[in-house]
Amino acid sequence: MSIVDLTSMGESQVELRKEINDRLSKLQDEISDYCYQCAKCTSGCEAHKLLELEPHKIIALLKRGLIDEMVNSEIIWTCMSCFKCRERCPQKIAPVEVLFALKNMAVASGKQIPGNYTAMLQSVLSIGLLQDIKSVSTKDNKTKTRADLGLPEISKPVDSSKFQMILSKIAVEKV
Amino acid sequence: MKYALYPGCVMPTEQYAYEMSIREIMPKLGVELVDIKGFSCCGEPIKSVNQMLTLTLSARNIALAEKEGLDIYAPCPMCHLALSECKRILDTEPKMFERINKFLEDESLKYKGTASLVTTVDLIHDKVGLEKIKELVKKPLKEIKIASHNGCHLIRPSEIGRPDDSENPQKLDNILKSLGANVLDYPEKLDCCGGLLTANLPESALTKTGQKLKGIQDQGFDVFIDTCPWCHRQYDSKQTKAGETVAAKLDVPVLYLTQIIGLSFGISKYKLGLDLNQSPVEKLSIVGGN
Repeated sequence: MSIVDLTSMGESQVELRKEINDRLSKLQDEISDYCYQCAKCTSGCEAHKLLELEPHKIIALLKRGLIDEMVNSEIIWTCMSCFKCRERCPQKIAPVEVLFALKNMAVASGKQIPGNYTAMLQSVLSIGLLQDIKSVSTKDNKTKTRADLGLPEISKPVDSSKFQMILSKIAVEKV
Repeated sequence: MKYALYPGCVMPTEQYAYEMSIREIMPKLGVELVDIKGFSCCGEPIKSVNQMLTLTLSARNIALAEKEGLDIYAPCPMCHLALSECKRILDTEPKMFERINKFLEDESLKYKGTASLVTTVDLIHDKVGLEKIKELVKKPLKEIKIASHNGCHLIRPSEIGRPDDSENPQKLDNILKSLGANVLDYPEKLDCCGGLLTANLPESALTKTGQKLKGIQDQGFDVFIDTCPWCHRQYDSKQTKAGETVAAKLDVPVLYLTQIIGLSFGISKYKLGLDLNQSPVEKLSIVGGN
């Protein structure tokens, strides 16, 4: 299986999109009566000052159903998932979870995934981990491996074909 | 006390000092760590790509520990959050429970919901207890001014069940105080390291790191203590680069909680991986010698 199955960079995944759409509609229904735009989320947002993310605006746009506009916007990829907005909302709305759903939607729609996400995903698919084992340097520039440092062998999926089968099912179920 | 050690990805592939210091101090604290084969990524770092994948990966890791009848110690707060969220969803939504377990059949795994989850801070503070720590301290950290960093995922979102309070976390500070240290509050205490942005906006990630560390340096702290391998990679491994983004020459010693505990227990700095820290840890007198 390839990364394309999981991220549908080739073809858009109709089922997956439908599912995420349901998730968004549910969020939309749940929050539309509750958010009164106090912007407490934005006042604490870690990405606000630096990258101009405004979680209260995300919620306002969701209320108006402007989902495609947000899915196509780069701003959804500025969230650093600090979860302050979810923690501090007086109405128990979670802009961070709306942003996760919007990003999932962007990926399922076949939009280009930004940055290193593709490489991270590919690594999880092939070795089960986000990145391969690195050798590191001490302060005085000696290279060390896990074994040099007396650490045991790393834990990772034993049977990678079975592991990949699980991940491919997640993809196939949606295609 | 016996736990399956769930290492995640960042710690066992590059943040070796955390793993070394954990393996040094936990047996002394009466915690037996069991290594299990087959663990994978928790899925949290790729939640932006496909949330279903995150849920499935977390469930399979919990299932592996449950198969051995063990509770889970996840040193990485991000892993702990992913596993906790998975547990919350699967324990309360029967449909999701069935659906995810269907995925796991290929590896003959089943999520049951029997394992409980701890991270470094609650394992030491709540399970081991501060009395035990005080008994083991050989070199009290007197006169050391500490800035502690909980990191986001250790304390939020509280709805999912986190080890400490979201706005006024005290456990990490209490552990450090039991080593004799002077732990002080600072305005940037709850600020994010920016680490998750490394995937797509690495410069911005470093700016977040630099802003916080600059505040700490300007306030004259002796050392910065963290417990998250993602945060530590930002504050320690990338400190020089982070400084460049805020036009500052940063010079702040950054240690894992488990490293400073080990030092105060009199464990050799090499066994605690202190020569792997890239920040100027040698500035601390307790690091010198042995």
